[in-house]
Amino acid sequence: MDLLDGHLIPAVDGVAFGLLLFVVAAGLSLAFGTAGVLNLSHGTLYAIGAYTGAELSDGTWGGLALGLAAGTAAACLAGAGLSAATAPLARRGHLAQALLTFGLALIGGDLLIQVFGADELPVRVPEALDSSVMLLGHRYPAYRLCFIVMAVLLAAFGTWVLTRTRMGAAVRAAADDPQMLAATGRNPRAVHTGVLAAAGALAGAAGVLGAPIIGPGPGTSENVLMLSLVVVVLGGLRSLWATFFAAIAVGEVQTLGVALAPDLAPYLLFAAMAAVLVLRSRFAEPTAGHGPEDPGPDPVARLRSRLAGRVPGSRVPSRIGRLPGGAAWWRAAPLLVLLVVLISLPALLDAYSISLAGSALALGLLAVSVTILTGYAGLPTLGQTAPFAVGAYATANLAEAGWTVGPVQLALSALAAAVFAAVVGPAVIRARGTTVLMITLAVGELTGAVVNQLKSVTGGADGLVGFPATRALWGGEEMLEESELYTYALVVAVVAVSVTLLVLRSPAGKLLTGTRGAEARMRASGHPVGRYLLVAHICAGALAGVGGSLMVTVQQYLAPADVGFEIAAFALLAVVIGGTTSVIGALLGAGLIVATRDWVAGSWPGHGPLLLGVLFVATVYLLPRGLAGLRGGAGSGPPPGLPAVEDRSPSAPAQNPAGKVSP
Amino acid sequence: MLELTGLTAGYHGGTVLHGLDLSVPAGTVHAVVGHNGAGKTTLVHTVAGLMRPSAGTVRLDGRDLTGLPAHRIARAGIGLVPQGRRVFAGLTVDEHLRLSYRPPRRGDPERPGVWTPARVTELLPRLGERRGNRGAELSGGEQQMLALARALLGSPRLLLLDEPTEGLAPALVRQVHGLVATLAGEGIAVLLVSPSPAQAVESAGALTVLTSGRATLRMDGADARADGSALHAALELATTAV
Repeated sequence: MDLLDGHLIPAVDGVAFGLLLFVVAAGLSLAFGTAGVLNLSHGTLYAIGAYTGAELSDGTWGGLALGLAAGTAAACLAGAGLSAATAPLARRGHLAQALLTFGLALIGGDLLIQVFGADELPVRVPEALDSSVMLLGHRYPAYRLCFIVMAVLLAAFGTWVLTRTRMGAAVRAAADDPQMLAATGRNPRAVHTGVLAAAGALAGAAGVLGAPIIGPGPGTSENVLMLSLVVVVLGGLRSLWATFFAAIAVGEVQTLGVALAPDLAPYLLFAAMAAVLVLRSRFAEPTAGHGPEDPGPDPVARLRSRLAGRVPGSRVPSRIGRLPGGAAWWRAAPLLVLLVVLISLPALLDAYSISLAGSALALGLLAVSVTILTGYAGLPTLGQTAPFAVGAYATANLAEAGWTVGPVQLALSALAAAVFAAVVGPAVIRARGTTVLMITLAVGELTGAVVNQLKSVTGGADGLVGFPATRALWGGEEMLEESELYTYALVVAVVAVSVTLLVLRSPAGKLLTGTRGAEARMRASGHPVGRYLLVAHICAGALAGVGGSLMVTVQQYLAPADVGFEIAAFALLAVVIGGTTSVIGALLGAGLIVATRDWVAGSWPGHGPLLLGVLFVATVYLLPRGLAGLRGGAGSGPPPGLPAVEDRSPSAPAQNPAGKVSP
Repeated sequence: MLELTGLTAGYHGGTVLHGLDLSVPAGTVHAVVGHNGAGKTTLVHTVAGLMRPSAGTVRLDGRDLTGLPAHRIARAGIGLVPQGRRVFAGLTVDEHLRLSYRPPRRGDPERPGVWTPARVTELLPRLGERRGNRGAELSGGEQQMLALARALLGSPRLLLLDEPTEGLAPALVRQVHGLVATLAGEGIAVLLVSPSPAQAVESAGALTVLTSGRATLRMDGADARADGSALHAALELATTAV
């Protein structure tokens, strides 16, 4: 009983924390499940409530009531606005919507800091509750107990509305089959708007009431978003009860877990999520591993040898997928121009800009790996920073241990990242569409949390610095000059991109494209789709690992922010700018983003997030098909455009062309 | 009365329905028969507003409904029983009935008769017995009844039935056709789509054979029942044309 007694307080805290997460995550889950919007600004809605509540809190009940009303209303309005903003993108698919909400989150975060300042705001609870009560022989803050009661009431009310009222039935019907809801005379768009507004209101109310628990500050949005994403992924989308238990579990891990085993808490979250995802295939569609048996050695063997073996040039690529001679030259032209420009850069730029260009190449490789998954495999990912981080930290640690030969660093980093991708792969490839965004985002965020905790390997928040520089080859000198490093990065990037292009244009690439476009048909013709996706995921992971290794070599230091969520979003944006299926477009997009970020940081310091948010929003609205769209549709490779990714989305049962609804 | 004039619709540039003219007077059943891919479901979806026609008009009792969103078309008095039934898997029968019930409002066009949940369960007693079951837990026949109930609770003036007997046991097929005749007797116009002339002909007052999106034969229901050879010839011809 001593153990229980000693940990009663963190356990009760865990309940309070979990209930807070439940209210927030329920809104996120509702918006995702019903309106199909992966709302990456959901944490911002919470922050709106928290800031409003903190600002209006004056230690009286009136202040709390006023804050609750104002914060809920503001977040509710923001949610409705979000519905209006995403409406024009409904046909474009979930990826565009997710990027838009991320852009809005950046803008919203910056505006909140403008209005409320960059410091964490103090929150005053009503004086009547600003005391402690005795709880089984322990003193416990009265407000938290009161919060537990309020959160239970809020959760019960929300559950009642959703499961017992006509309105709730309409919401669930809209999630199930919006067309049939329309056929009963209800406007599904109005239901979507209502759901997003209600989700906003829930987040806002949670923010006001929860401000004394997760207070308003610059990191609030991301923290809340990450935790509620983990809750939604853990709980699945089917049942509120599952979400509830997941929320309590996460709350306990964050409080009781920290009290019991401070070092292990972030891994607990990660391990719990990985276990749940692998053990259960509740999310979407048939388990990928259950595809029909091998169709024979031919395509699989080719896929393996080309993708897994990665032996460039050892075989002449098949003629499939090649255009006639003239067209091939035309297609290669931008590539050659780009190459000439890249080679001549050291002669044109100063040392700082050259170093920046090297970083852009590393980020470019990350973006290319995202392209492989998003554009070819149909797995839109926000989590490629995880293998990127694995590669980066592997190289940094190798260098510290004295392994400074470039190719060795690259190979081992790629291997480490590939192993990582192989481990998390089964969880990712089971899902389709936006669910992938959600799962990969959670994977990336949790990896970030681990990076911050595992100080012996990663240096924690301080990062790693002062390790020996890389040697280009065995017996070579350490590279210290920017132009040397840049040349090294360029050679590595050219080799990696060439291999990628060869693979993507080989039958292996066609198999992936087929998988994305018509998964059911691929399965029916005997292709083990799950294995293809897993191999693609591993290869993309390895490529991201190479990118991470390159980044460390070029920068000569490594901080957690270099592998954070912002970088993941940048990579996805680079891919969208490039037109989702264009490798070169992804590279150009990465260059554009690095240049913009640097220019923004220099010319208007302190407002980077705002301008980048505007860039996100502008890209989503103005470049629906990326840069490739500007060429007037003369795109190369598989047709660009986002809807293709949605082809396998489980939430779109009704858009079957012939109207024959498959079971 | 439903009137379609020159209705043209398709997907991504490919036209499926080519200028179809069709009218269904109130209180009658009009059957549209055609092979897979003839454009039957496209026709139903276009009338119901799930697809937008590229040309032509859809009128119900003289009111132009062309291009309206699906929920406004439903409110204007068109009920849809879709192919594959498409009941809401997670909603109970009771929730289906409560969600679909639209009591008439002032200013609504007059309807043949208001359908309430009580009246629907009287017509389809099986649904009353399964009130607490979710859509996914029902048998195929029960789902079909539920889909019909869902459409009826909007008190429609036109009922669209897309292959309502698909996959049902023969006894249930007869029951469905009996229901269709009953509903037409109440003054509802019924547009019934079916791949099989044998089933369509039973309750139909008029028949249209659809071949590659065009009407290739129109005949009276009584004539078709008396002598099915012309109908079968038209469908055979359609087969060779495909």
